[in-house]
Amino acid sequence: MPTQISGNATESPSRSPMTIGLPLPRGDARAKACGREPYAADLFPENLLLAQALRSGLPCGRLLELDLEEARQIPGIVAILTAKDVPGSNRQGIIHKDMPVLVEDRIRYCGDPVALLIAENKEAIRSAMSCIRIHAEPSPGVFDLDEAMAENAPLVHEDKPGNMLAKATIQKGKPDFDACAAVVEGWFETPVQAHGFLETEAGTACLLEDGTLRMEVSTQSPFRDRLEISHALGIPFMQVHIHAPSLGGGFGGKDGATVQCLLGLAALHCPGRSVKMLWEREESFVAGYKRHACRMHYRLGALADGSLHSLHARLWYDTGAYAHLGPEVMELGMEHAAGPYRIPHNLTEGFCVHTHTPTGGAMRAFGVCQVSFAFESMMDMLAEKLKQDPLELRLRNALHRGDTNGAGVLLESSTSLAACLEGIRNHPLWQTRRQWQKEAPPFCIRGTGLAAVFNAAGYGGGVRDAAIAKIEMDVKGHFIVHNAVTDMGQGNSSAFLQIAGHILRQSAEALSLRQPDTRSAYPSGSSSAGRTTYTFGKALISACEELASRLINRAGLILFLQNDEGLVLEPGRVRHEPSGRSVSLEQLASFMSLEERVCLGQFIAPVCREVPDTSRGFFIGFPHVIFGYGAHLARVEVDTLTGRVQVKDYLALTDGGAVLNPSMFDQQVQGGVAQGIGYALYEDFITEKGVVKTKDFTTYLMPGSLDLPDILSLAPPVEEEESGPFGMKGIGEVAMNGPLPAIANALRDAGCRRIHKAPIMAEAVLGSLENR
Amino acid sequence: MNPVLFPRTEEMLLSMVKAYPEARFMAGGTDLLVALRQKQKALPPLIGLERMEGMGDILREGDEISIGAACTLKEVASHPLTRQHLPLLCQGADSVGGPALRNMATLGGNLCTASPAGDTLPALFLLEARPELLSEKGLRTLSMEAFITGPGRTALLPGELLHRIRIPIPPNAPIQHFEKVGNRNAMAIAVASLAALIRMEQGLVTQARLAWGSVGPKVIRSSEAEAALMGKPLREESLKEAAFYAQKAVQPISDIRASADYRKKVSASLLQRLILYRDSDDKGERS
Ligand SMILES: Cc1cc2nc3c(=O)[nH]c(=O)nc-3n(C[C@H](O)[C@H](O)[C@H](O)COP(=O)(O)OP(=O)(O)OC[C@H]3O[C@@H](n4cnc5c(N)ncnc54)[C@H](O)[C@@H]3O)c2cc1C
Repeated sequence: MPTQISGNATESPSRSPMTIGLPLPRGDARAKACGREPYAADLFPENLLLAQALRSGLPCGRLLELDLEEARQIPGIVAILTAKDVPGSNRQGIIHKDMPVLVEDRIRYCGDPVALLIAENKEAIRSAMSCIRIHAEPSPGVFDLDEAMAENAPLVHEDKPGNMLAKATIQKGKPDFDACAAVVEGWFETPVQAHGFLETEAGTACLLEDGTLRMEVSTQSPFRDRLEISHALGIPFMQVHIHAPSLGGGFGGKDGATVQCLLGLAALHCPGRSVKMLWEREESFVAGYKRHACRMHYRLGALADGSLHSLHARLWYDTGAYAHLGPEVMELGMEHAAGPYRIPHNLTEGFCVHTHTPTGGAMRAFGVCQVSFAFESMMDMLAEKLKQDPLELRLRNALHRGDTNGAGVLLESSTSLAACLEGIRNHPLWQTRRQWQKEAPPFCIRGTGLAAVFNAAGYGGGVRDAAIAKIEMDVKGHFIVHNAVTDMGQGNSSAFLQIAGHILRQSAEALSLRQPDTRSAYPSGSSSAGRTTYTFGKALISACEELASRLINRAGLILFLQNDEGLVLEPGRVRHEPSGRSVSLEQLASFMSLEERVCLGQFIAPVCREVPDTSRGFFIGFPHVIFGYGAHLARVEVDTLTGRVQVKDYLALTDGGAVLNPSMFDQQVQGGVAQGIGYALYEDFITEKGVVKTKDFTTYLMPGSLDLPDILSLAPPVEEEESGPFGMKGIGEVAMNGPLPAIANALRDAGCRRIHKAPIMAEAVLGSLENR
Repeated sequence: MNPVLFPRTEEMLLSMVKAYPEARFMAGGTDLLVALRQKQKALPPLIGLERMEGMGDILREGDEISIGAACTLKEVASHPLTRQHLPLLCQGADSVGGPALRNMATLGGNLCTASPAGDTLPALFLLEARPELLSEKGLRTLSMEAFITGPGRTALLPGELLHRIRIPIPPNAPIQHFEKVGNRNAMAIAVASLAALIRMEQGLVTQARLAWGSVGPKVIRSSEAEAALMGKPLREESLKEAAFYAQKAVQPISDIRASADYRKKVSASLLQRLILYRDSDDKGERS
């Protein structure tokens, strides 16, 4: 049964209609707080089998043979499958189909799956795992950018010479550093980051009698999953039926196939039985997708008055063993490489490089949070060199509507970075920073840092970015929103309830939401790229408006009124204001067929009308036309005896256009900042010669409640985004980009030497204090 | 399936040990269960200590505080007797993991794990704690030096139980200072830690005990560093001198958490913090 979440927010719900702009409680708050929300990981259908992949453990080599006989004899083992058992292409990948479901020959990273075990219970899997012998021939691998790009380096993929998956440039104008009064230059490095979601990769699948492969899976892209499974396993894609319950976190890590093809394969071999796959934490660390590590070289020049003039940026993204969205991640980074600034001359070069390490994939603010570190550090370096105030320097160069951005795209959509920066200028945390700095306790120094950031929304040029929304009124006069873009926890389904309630003038208890199901909802793209509420919300508005007008029309028929004048929707009914007569929605429903009670609406996101001739080597995804902006401030304290850094205060002003729900807006910003502080100071996914060293939460540290300050989120007065639902645009990602540069700049302000490598660990900070 | 047993008395416990010689003691299980999960093998028989009489209390016996080995770290950190007399131990216990963990993990478990990063160990060394062991042969009491024989190794014989930890109340309430450096503020294994027990009389140091955790196979002591503080006021110069000896005494390793070099530097620099006590009165309180 598809699951429903109730829109009931409080015990004795008010009967007032939901309204856009109010901080209404989330629709999923009660179910999640009570532990009632069903996640894919929680599902235990009857007569369940378990499936688990055996992973290579070897970062690079050739698979010769697997000794499976002994393992197959273990009681409880139902099947052990290898590449030979995969019926289709045995290849998966969102755009670039290069990742085997099960390895046939080449092993490209330590998590490559070589066999799939299906068993009645965990114990059988455990015993079988320990008696399978993998015969493989190890070969020399490339484990970092330098090794991968060295001459005659071993190749990760034979068809990718130099291990170069993609190479591209953006050129706007012609950088000329001789024309600049001040030039700054620097190398920067960012780490691999893991998503660290609570619910690891999980799902259940069953091959039904009619040939349907039914799957309930923790996924950000249920509709695309059908294509992945159908391509990899060679089954017709309409035969795949996906249901996507609420996710226990995603952050990009569940965009693309994780368990899907393995689970499908298992189900195909055990018709009629449900099969479950739930990755252990260690497996998730080894085999899950990760944020790309990045190395950057920047050269930035400005005129004497502080106007930016020329940029030359080179970016190397380590994409690991398989392509996933590697080129797209790099391209998005390149599109943002010049920062949210007016800069006439920009040459940005990007390189996306394979190594024998876990695969880089999508993660919140992909590609962009890497370059944010570089360009915002460069802005402070420039301010220092020009002896200018770092805030004024940013304001002077900030993008406005009507400017062309660093990638040469004319900005015709809402652009309110300046309002964010002005909000910082007027805030006490900025104004009192010098006094606060002076009051540092013993063995402690203090500093304040800024970052101005942006993040594109939507898929970008060349990809259709569309959604189809469905709203249904049931026979009782209740409404069901058929969501089609999964809710990873970011709250889009609550926003959808609020949108529907607002248009249909209904209170929370009259509305419920069905999570995405490929048989009852329609393709609406992935839950990603700051597009979720924007695109689906817009489609939902037109569906709800159509349904509202049908209800008014039907009520008018019943009330013998010649036109719609004076008819209004109210909680539970349609009322004729002049006469006070009304029809309840339940009555209306009894007159309407199902067909009439269901409305669809669709929306296609705007694309760039005049694509500038600035990019070379881009496949898809360029350019974007809508951006969220933000200005961040961090106040940090450094313990001079240990180098430990504590963020004491954090302020984030965000331009997300109009705000549909202030508390959900703040939650997204606060979550992004927390994850960004993790990226800045704690999180470091480490491999050594391709072997994962941080396989659990004791070695991969994420910040906890004692490590995070109160995060103040403000929405300054900004332009509305005319193209978005009620004037909003996505802000799920932009907050991720601020903390690393803001903290790095604050450390410099405190008196440390500039730090160029993240995460910024105590040891480096202590070193940066020596011989100051 | 192997049994999980919950003895209540010493006799029950000793007979279970006899019946299941391969059994493991389990107090809070916060180390044991993690280790057993990693082995991915069937569990051995377990003898749980949480219901044992006389192992979960904190008492004063003459000039000693006696702590049952199965006391949780939360109890150790918050008991009036330990708070009054053994603040050093309280600080150590309070820095282990986070609140939920401290409600399960025990002082006995922290000792028996004997990790170089065990956060109560530096305090127990400086306070001259004496582990009391129980077996069918009766009780025996050891010094900390004798009890912890190496990283992850103790003097416990097969089937022998850590019963209580006895700690003499330090006379004249000295300064008791503990600082742990980890890679985050809670739920982090120590990268380095410093415990100090210092007595001041009329502004001069008359007793100095120092111990470092996480920077060697066992807790590190340095008599030279301690001597450098003796007879002097707590000032930058003498602390620097002590730091010089500290750097020589510690034997840290590099691992995923920190480099040996950083651990060495921090072991020394943490001593500087003691200057905050320079004006302490004879009761060991900062003024
Ligand atoms: C998430 C997490 C964070 C942690 N953080 C820290 C930290 O910050 N600092 C730190 O020092 N430790 C930390 N630890 C380790 C652990 O919690 C402590 O060492 C704790 O004190 C162990 O106590 P326990 O009661 O859980 O021991 P158990 O796991 O029950 O036992 C540990 C070992 O001692 C034996 N044992 C226990 N009691 C006795 C006894 N009375 N007699 C004989 N043998 C006995 C057991 O057989 C076992 O071998 C952490 C552990 C986890 C899981």
